[in-house]
Amino acid sequence: MPATLTPDVIALLDSAETVKVLATVDANGAPDAVEKPSLHHGGDGTIHVLEFLETSAANRNLTHTIWYGGSISVALHGADGHRVQIKGRPVKLHITGPLFQQHYVRARETLGDVDLAGVWVIEPDEVIDERFEKVRAREDAAHPDFIHLDRIAV
Amino acid sequence: MVALLKEIYRAEPSFDEVLAKHPRFPRLIARKIDVQRRGVHYTEAAEKAVDPAVHQLRSPYIFGSRDGEIKPLPESLLLRDGTTILVDPTPLDQNPYVVDYREGRFVLVDGGEQLEEVDLWPKPVYYDKLTTSGLPMSHIVSARPQRLNVFQSSFCYFWADKEGCQFCDIVTHTKQQREEIGVPNRLRPEDVKETIAEALKEPGRFTNLCLTAGSVTKGKEIFDLEVEFYIELLQAIGENFRTKKFPSQLIASAFNEKQLARLYNETGLTSYTTDLEVLNEELFGWICPGKARQVGYQGWKQRLVNAVDIFGRGNVGTGIVGGVETAQPSGFKSEHDALQSTLSEADWLAARGVTTVYIVWVPRPGSAFRDQKAPSLDYFIRLAQGLQDIRASHGLKVDFDDYRRCGNHPDSDLARLQ
Repeated sequence: MPATLTPDVIALLDSAETVKVLATVDANGAPDAVEKPSLHHGGDGTIHVLEFLETSAANRNLTHTIWYGGSISVALHGADGHRVQIKGRPVKLHITGPLFQQHYVRARETLGDVDLAGVWVIEPDEVIDERFEKVRAREDAAHPDFIHLDRIAV
Repeated sequence: MVALLKEIYRAEPSFDEVLAKHPRFPRLIARKIDVQRRGVHYTEAAEKAVDPAVHQLRSPYIFGSRDGEIKPLPESLLLRDGTTILVDPTPLDQNPYVVDYREGRFVLVDGGEQLEEVDLWPKPVYYDKLTTSGLPMSHIVSARPQRLNVFQSSFCYFWADKEGCQFCDIVTHTKQQREEIGVPNRLRPEDVKETIAEALKEPGRFTNLCLTAGSVTKGKEIFDLEVEFYIELLQAIGENFRTKKFPSQLIASAFNEKQLARLYNETGLTSYTTDLEVLNEELFGWICPGKARQVGYQGWKQRLVNAVDIFGRGNVGTGIVGGVETAQPSGFKSEHDALQSTLSEADWLAARGVTTVYIVWVPRPGSAFRDQKAPSLDYFIRLAQGLQDIRASHGLKVDFDDYRRCGNHPDSDLARLQ
């Protein structure tokens, strides 16, 4: 069952102000984290990523993941400090067709003489609120013993 | 014409049983191979859901199909990882996969089990247009998801000498296309140029061009006339580009160095392929008698190696009809021996800068090998992995013939991770 993207997460995904990072791993487990300003909400609860380079590490790793399983991670950091991590799986690659062409045209209008290798569709499995106060609250509730004693000393 | 073959694929080990022996092999590529091997049948629901305004229907092709018919069915399929499956309609009694339409999606079904969502190929805009000379542009240049195919002529002089390749149905199919849908025998360069100009108006639709045709042995030196045809055609096509070179593949006869140099220097061609079809000298003589008599296996290989000096390492390839080396009575009796022999030759070629790709052999009703049986799924998986491993071990790329530029070679699908 895919995780639901709430309106605030969708807004974060679709904002040009948000820093968006895609993290993937290769066949040997080596990580690759790269900023992907093209990450956006696909309109149907999925996330779309434009891949401009056929042989980029991200493109190869996404191919590896759709072939062999595993997951990827998307980290978002909004201009207002809102931070979210989305874990998910690539479920489809568009290399042709209407969606591909629409993005191809828009990318060239906005970025100039670029090419487009594909449009990946990511299905979210888990959305994690990564704002520090939220993460800390979760940690404190789950592991009350993880504390330096001086913090609670008289 | 309907094939008389009745393959009982379900008597073989199941897809899952075969794949369990190959945990490193991508399931989607194995599925592609198996679908190509067994063919597809479109259900009535699928046929009704096909929209000729949106989906590409079958257009002229250089080879025929295993149902031996030309019907307005979908051209082919795309898997969810962007992998192309070139597959043709197959009679139900041959146990093909089934393409059905369920809950608004096309799906691949086998044994009643829904396996994968698939997309039909999108129809290019130019398919609805006519050339100035009044021909449907879809009859001049056919499309794949990202490639333009120019089948300059489907006539092959080896056939005229009754020495055609035994797996091939090129001339049978040419006659059928000409009689049933009026596909011209030979393309005029101005029609091709005009059609490609129209195709290029669609942004993001195509990444390369492929030209191929039957062999033309005529000329002062063998194949001179064939080379002339291609130079004329490539020069006309080149007028559509502002760069001298444009991503392109020529699949043609084994030309000599002078002919290859002319092709490279006088046109925008960037890669060259000449198909050995089977990587074994003895079997080449049996399966490709015309090629064997007029050029010879060693001569064909040498011309491939010579082409590397002209087109560059990674831009020269040879295609084989994967599995035809097991055709009987002269082929290998064991799949193990067939694989060893084929990979050994592919390694020799790769060491000299020539890449080898295969297509899944389908015994076609219009070919001399129509009553043969293709090898197992296990064989095709091993062949794909073996060829890709060889390519990788020699640091050889296959950009001009990969999953996107071509889409018909399971081995070069694997190059996506190389």
